[in-house]
Amino acid sequence: MTRASIAVVFAGSGGSGAMTAGAVFLRAAAHAGYYGMMTQLFGAQVRGGESASLVQVSIAPIETQPDCYDLFVALDWDKVEQFAAEIPLDDRSIILADPASGPVPPGIAKSKGRVVALAMNNPDENKLERALRGKRINMFAAGCVCALTGIAESDVKAAIDTIFDGKGADLIAANAAGAALGARAAPALPLDLRLEPPRKAARWLINGNQAVAFGALRGGVRFVGCYPITPATDLVEWLAPHLIKLGGRLVLGEDELASVNMTLGASYGGTPAMTVTSGPGFSLMIETLGLAVAAEIPFVLVDVMRAGPSTGIASKTEQSDINLAVYGGHGDAPRIVLAPVSVADCVNTGEYAVYVAESLQTPVIVLSDQALGQATTVIDPSAQRPAPLARRVNGVAPGKPFKRYATGGDPVTPMPLPGTPHLEWVAEGLTHNEAGLPASGAAMHVAQIDKRAKKFSQFDPGDHWGEVWGEGDVAIIAIGSTIGPAREAANRLAAGGQKVRVIALRVLSPLPLAALTRALDGVRRIIVVEQNHGAQLYHYLLGHKAIPLSAESVARPGPAPFRPSEIASHVA
Amino acid sequence: MTDTIVAATEQPHCVFDAKDFSSGAHPVWCPGCGDYGVLAALERALARQGRPPHEVVLVSGIGCSSRLPGYMSTYGFHGVHGRALPVATGLKLTRPDLEVIAVGGDGDGYSIGGNHFIHACRRNVDMLYLVMDNRVYGMTKGQPSPTTEADWDSDIAPGGIGLRPFNPLAVAIASGANYVARGFSGDPNGLADLIVDAIRWPGFAFIEVLSPCVTFRPEQREWKKMVRPSAISVEQDRAAATALVLADDGFSMGVLYRGDRASIAPALKPEITVADVEREFMVAV
Repeated sequence: MTRASIAVVFAGSGGSGAMTAGAVFLRAAAHAGYYGMMTQLFGAQVRGGESASLVQVSIAPIETQPDCYDLFVALDWDKVEQFAAEIPLDDRSIILADPASGPVPPGIAKSKGRVVALAMNNPDENKLERALRGKRINMFAAGCVCALTGIAESDVKAAIDTIFDGKGADLIAANAAGAALGARAAPALPLDLRLEPPRKAARWLINGNQAVAFGALRGGVRFVGCYPITPATDLVEWLAPHLIKLGGRLVLGEDELASVNMTLGASYGGTPAMTVTSGPGFSLMIETLGLAVAAEIPFVLVDVMRAGPSTGIASKTEQSDINLAVYGGHGDAPRIVLAPVSVADCVNTGEYAVYVAESLQTPVIVLSDQALGQATTVIDPSAQRPAPLARRVNGVAPGKPFKRYATGGDPVTPMPLPGTPHLEWVAEGLTHNEAGLPASGAAMHVAQIDKRAKKFSQFDPGDHWGEVWGEGDVAIIAIGSTIGPAREAANRLAAGGQKVRVIALRVLSPLPLAALTRALDGVRRIIVVEQNHGAQLYHYLLGHKAIPLSAESVARPGPAPFRPSEIASHVA
Repeated sequence: MTDTIVAATEQPHCVFDAKDFSSGAHPVWCPGCGDYGVLAALERALARQGRPPHEVVLVSGIGCSSRLPGYMSTYGFHGVHGRALPVATGLKLTRPDLEVIAVGGDGDGYSIGGNHFIHACRRNVDMLYLVMDNRVYGMTKGQPSPTTEADWDSDIAPGGIGLRPFNPLAVAIASGANYVARGFSGDPNGLADLIVDAIRWPGFAFIEVLSPCVTFRPEQREWKKMVRPSAISVEQDRAAATALVLADDGFSMGVLYRGDRASIAPALKPEITVADVEREFMVAV
């Protein structure tokens, strides 16, 4: 009997190659025509810690981690147990391990999963040979799992060729040989894990961080100021070579204050610009966010949220920067906050963010999270792109003084590029008059705040405001990586006869109140699901009277992802 | 660029007068403030340099002296406290066609912005950074700054702050600035000469300008009697230049150091398109 999907864990100590095994399985599955998603777990060590890759492969798109893993492949048992809480297993799970690695540790064995022996180490080899060959146990395991699921060896070979591209023919051949050995061991195992044949199509293999970066490039970003911070660093590491080849510039600032101010400087000069960070860096950037609001300088700020407060858990997810994104800073400082609704949507939301920033001359925050950013997925290519919007730089007659911050008319006032004769202006963070000179009178202070507020009250995101799935009279409201499990929960409840609609907000600020109200039409029960302790989204929606006092809140901190069963049990 | 000791000077392509660079706005500065002299020197220097106002951008942070961009007819960026240099860096790297000048005071540049000062010198982006140093926070009415003498008495630090003053020139030279000079606001013509020279010198040029605060540091009126031309100007040798500025009493005027470090390279011409990037994600079946 074949299955529609499978969830597999490859786990082992540092150097065992668990990540690479997962990457080979995922990419081979993509070549075979399946959808997929891979997330990763690391110990705290910078190098050499234990690690696990969590890979799901399916005939349908995957946007959530599973309730339970079907197959746990232990490359070894060294400290792997510490991940037990984050890798749910049950008595239907299969634990594939080499008896030579020792007994299954209690933390894993307590799942009562069925243990199946697979000799991955060659007992005829001496210890030294085994150590030398040890790195290919992961390929043996990947090859074996691919064969068990029915993925052809040619697809495995194609995956290995890509993943080890540039590492030399010898290494590729050795890895391919390891995978082939694993494939040969599969038929003898008492397991049937074959997948249904997929609907074959060329797809993208992309993670959420790459997707946001790619969207920003599509939107025209050609300057990035950044500072290293987990889990956003891999975004800029992917971006750097591409941006340079596109004629752009990425500058590693001395700190986040430098990064965001460099970004503003580039934007002032007319180059669409972006900075990328996570919570602690975002906190440091808040003062300059206010400057960009006041001086009306566009830029995109990507926050790949991690567990906080303070340094929190650098490598693990949480949705606890909502308040900071929506409210952070002193004074009346409205800003646009967007949250991608899936990894695939990271592309379009990244691109749309650039257009909104440029057209409204204002900062736009893209609120991603680690679970989206570092989820590697196999998805259908992004087809429908947002309509381009550009910065208004022309449309004024030369004159002295040029009124860069003119009030009373269209609140989006022309922003001539430096180098334009006779339209010189000063970008000003102090309360300023229409010509951009500092002013401290009450009337002008109010007039300029009104001007900037009007940009937001006029902003119409149209269909970009959010997404609605399903039609029930019970509604789940979610953002970011919580949407996937919420949708899966709704699907399961629908299968059981309970109709539930899922409403995802892509535009968090300004809150698209009219669209959200329409989406809630006919709903008698509302549940706001979010991954933070303080129910930040719930209170934000309550504060705007977007939901009634009777709305329910399901709010808990990360880093454990919401699983479909958890959400379904709250709703049912 | 290592063989370029003397900067390639661009000849003026039109003729300007100092007043062409004035916005006409009335400064917030106190009567007698040194910053008036710096403003006059900048206007003269830019007129002499010969680029029109719209090709110049003045970037500043917060403080009395950081108000300067509003008083000139050029483009400007008056940002947050201490961050003028990163703004100027992002601008110059993406718009090398513009003349980018960062200005500010000693608190803005050496205290809250001190980290950016070090790294701007390291990056050596082709721009001028002009610091109006009055050894006091003036806008907040008289607190000791990083360059204030250890024993200067103030409300916030009675009897003196008790700290050795920061030496911005030594830090600039050690950190990689390509041009380091000291000027005096009381000599606008001499300062204008320095500014023109600094703008034309490739890489990151830093001019520390002694600019008295007559309100909170009236004793600085005496600076005009204390300044003198520097006897020495060092080319290339950072160790010698560092020794010079460390031994100096802080009143030697003129070019103190000029180096030959290559400035940061310009961005590449596009080699690929966004469609090429997109193809990298594609997995064939």
